[in-house]
Amino acid sequence: MEMEIDVDTDSLIQTAEILANRYGIRYYEVRIVEETFSTVRSQNGRIDELSSNNEIGIGIRAFNGAWGFSSANEPSRVEKAIRTAMKIAKLSKQKPERSGIHVGDPIVDRVILKGRKEVPMEEKLSLVRHTSSLLDVDGISNRQVAYMDSTVHQIYFNSVGSFIETSIPRLRFFMAVTAKEGSNMQQSWKSLGGTVGWELMERTDVEGIADEIVRDALSLLKASSPPAGSFDVIMDPELTGVFIHEALGHAAEADSVKTGESILTGKLGEKIGVDGLNVVDDPTLPGKFGSYVYDDEGIPAKRVEIIKDGVLTGYLNNRETSAVLELEPNGHGRAQDYAHQPLVRMGNTFIEPGDWSFEEMIEEMRNGLYMVGDKGGQVDIANGTFTFAAREGYIVENGEIKEKVRDVALSGKILDILKDVRALGRDLRIEYPGYCGKGQWVPVDDGGPHVLTKAIVGGV
Amino acid sequence: MNERNEAVIRTAEDIAAMIPGILSERNVQAEWEVYVEAGRNGSFQIENEELEKAQRRFYSGVGLRIASGGYVGFSYATGLKHGRRGVEELVRKALALAKLGEVEFHGFPAYSKAPAVAGVYDRRIDEIPFEEAYEMAEELAGYMRDVKPSDEYILSGGVSLAVRTVGVMNSNGVEAVESRTMMKVSGYTVKKGERPGDGYSFQTYRHLVSPEDMEGIVRKSLEDAKKNSEASKMEGYTGEIALHPHALASILSVFLPNLMGDSVYYGRSRISRVGEAVASDALTIRDDARIEGWPGSYSFDGEGAPGQSTVLIERGEVRSFLLDETYARLLGMKSTGNGLRGFRSTPEIGTSNVIIEPGKESCRDPDVPMVVKVFGEHTANPVSGDFSLTVDLGEFRGRYFKDNMLTGNVFDLLRNISVIGRDPERVGNFSSPVVISRARIV
Repeated sequence: MEMEIDVDTDSLIQTAEILANRYGIRYYEVRIVEETFSTVRSQNGRIDELSSNNEIGIGIRAFNGAWGFSSANEPSRVEKAIRTAMKIAKLSKQKPERSGIHVGDPIVDRVILKGRKEVPMEEKLSLVRHTSSLLDVDGISNRQVAYMDSTVHQIYFNSVGSFIETSIPRLRFFMAVTAKEGSNMQQSWKSLGGTVGWELMERTDVEGIADEIVRDALSLLKASSPPAGSFDVIMDPELTGVFIHEALGHAAEADSVKTGESILTGKLGEKIGVDGLNVVDDPTLPGKFGSYVYDDEGIPAKRVEIIKDGVLTGYLNNRETSAVLELEPNGHGRAQDYAHQPLVRMGNTFIEPGDWSFEEMIEEMRNGLYMVGDKGGQVDIANGTFTFAAREGYIVENGEIKEKVRDVALSGKILDILKDVRALGRDLRIEYPGYCGKGQWVPVDDGGPHVLTKAIVGGV
Repeated sequence: MNERNEAVIRTAEDIAAMIPGILSERNVQAEWEVYVEAGRNGSFQIENEELEKAQRRFYSGVGLRIASGGYVGFSYATGLKHGRRGVEELVRKALALAKLGEVEFHGFPAYSKAPAVAGVYDRRIDEIPFEEAYEMAEELAGYMRDVKPSDEYILSGGVSLAVRTVGVMNSNGVEAVESRTMMKVSGYTVKKGERPGDGYSFQTYRHLVSPEDMEGIVRKSLEDAKKNSEASKMEGYTGEIALHPHALASILSVFLPNLMGDSVYYGRSRISRVGEAVASDALTIRDDARIEGWPGSYSFDGEGAPGQSTVLIERGEVRSFLLDETYARLLGMKSTGNGLRGFRSTPEIGTSNVIIEPGKESCRDPDVPMVVKVFGEHTANPVSGDFSLTVDLGEFRGRYFKDNMLTGNVFDLLRNISVIGRDPERVGNFSSPVVISRARIV
């Protein structure tokens, strides 16, 4: 074994077993996590952060009708944490009507993924320095470059005998510029990454991306804000990614379906989108930023068809929601780290491609907006209202792409907008790594083809 | 001094005592800073009026900054017990990173004792038995069952209780330790049916609050859910708009990055100097770490600089930036005590409590749309100031509205402020009265 977490797992299993018997705990699970990471950041050519560290911690969850959780990052606290989680679970009053979890058969497995190439810190530093120098252009008042890599090595075991060891590498590279002309300032950036190693940087055209974001930021200084109101909009694959993440992904997370809060509660089997619309969350895609092999509840990650031909066919679930909603477990219980309890989360979420070419879509729309890039979004899953933002765009008039417009947020209603989709492009890109926040941050990816739909544009 | 304070300061002192020896063995002249943190937090999550999840987490760790030859390096380790070998490793790593990265060093703070701010620690939060806190959360769940109007409503929420002790020592003689407590209560109500709606309400405190206060937060979320379900999209509108403190907090989050010293220094801010007029002369904003008992208050920041009251905007003009020691020195200014951090990282500039000074007028004009809550502020553009936010709740001529977008430019919006109300409301670490300005509703 090349990597080994310096923890006596046999004795931990024994301790957990003894305490579970003592407290009468029906089910428990333990995660021991070692995270190793390095970060290099620079701003205006100066390195302002260089770090390289590793850390081990433990998280314990016990179920007894309700969950008890505890975590610790000091060896002397480990036994106390196990005891605490079980004591908490023991406090819970039995609520038989909603107290199920999927337990399943024990899984014993070991999956060690590695980047194909690793390099010393010096090389990461010189990449950041070189990239920063590429962005040093007249009219650019600020340039930021950040490189981050990590390896999360996790041992999972539970009370039914699962013992799963996984190790997942992750890399992210980010560059951003701010262009300035008087008091007018605009930004552009690019982020890339995956569950990969340095080989990603070797096949990345850093020079090309640097040129592109500098050009973008400078040209945005001359762009005006897009118009305000309801418009036909073509989204590029990156904007499609954040769109589907907000418009559907969150509302399809089964924790909010279990509580009844999601607007998609009780809608399995209902038509909520147009014919031909397929939406998938697939954590098993190789190398993507939101990929994983087992979730943080020791369930194998599965591809989920959320929408098939316009019909809602699946929710993303975990041990608890799959039992309560009587669904096949699909391994979407993810935690930020050892100190957090898993929640139902997305992995890589995307719209499947259709058969339209980009030119046909522009022609079909005739008049509207072509919006590009992802600036984040947010959703109110109870009301079904969501917002998603584009980095820039173009006005389309009479089937022709015209002047460039600035960044803007768009909004729509979940149950309307998927029925307003008029065309799905035949291209597919899922290469827009980011972190999704839901009280905890987890790495995700999303994407899709170019998509033509209708949305409210928050312009001027 | 409580037990955790002692453990934290003892750890800092032990490490500080070892550093000079380790440095001289390596034949290195260096300045250093030890940051130590230990804490615990308990939280309780209520779903569908039942307590579903409870947790109690422990953490501790040490962060070390070492500066030598004009460069600074950082390393950290979890836990409080580090023998000589552990500290040697931290020093070695920090020195190696300093040399490799050439991260420029500008100095650690040099202060005598920071004056203590009252009310940042409540022994009752620190010492409450877990079972008692659990019972408190069970009672809140029971209250939710009592006030649930019908099966159309789903009530959720949570309570969290935390205590954190931080200690800082450096080679300039800074030595500070403080325990801080925090309580957060939240309520979330969803109304199902033909006209769905939801309401979220929360508050944070440094002290343990009564069950009545907690129930008030649940009731507020229920009231907001009812209003939200009655709301519908309103016609487009451009003109005077009243902003409730909740909505204003979201909009100000687009502006505040422009006042961070690092943004200013690195040309990422629209503002380049003190004295610039950026807002209507009705507007005064300060950052204040010294308000007794407020959730953002502290006696000293993450590098030992005293927390202070800093006027950021006075009658529309920039008076100061938010600064830590590094960016204060780079800009030729003095730290404002805004270097915030945990043991895993070096200080980053952030806010403590942000206050908009109240005015003298009432802002209750039913003919001016009042935007109460918005979401999506992280999609806005801090350097251009453009924002387009989704309205979660608003009120106009006796009717509620939602699903519109509120659009504008934050710099224009601050310049166009015409009225600042007289009754401030605190939302977490932010406090403001209602403010009237101009924007567009799409």
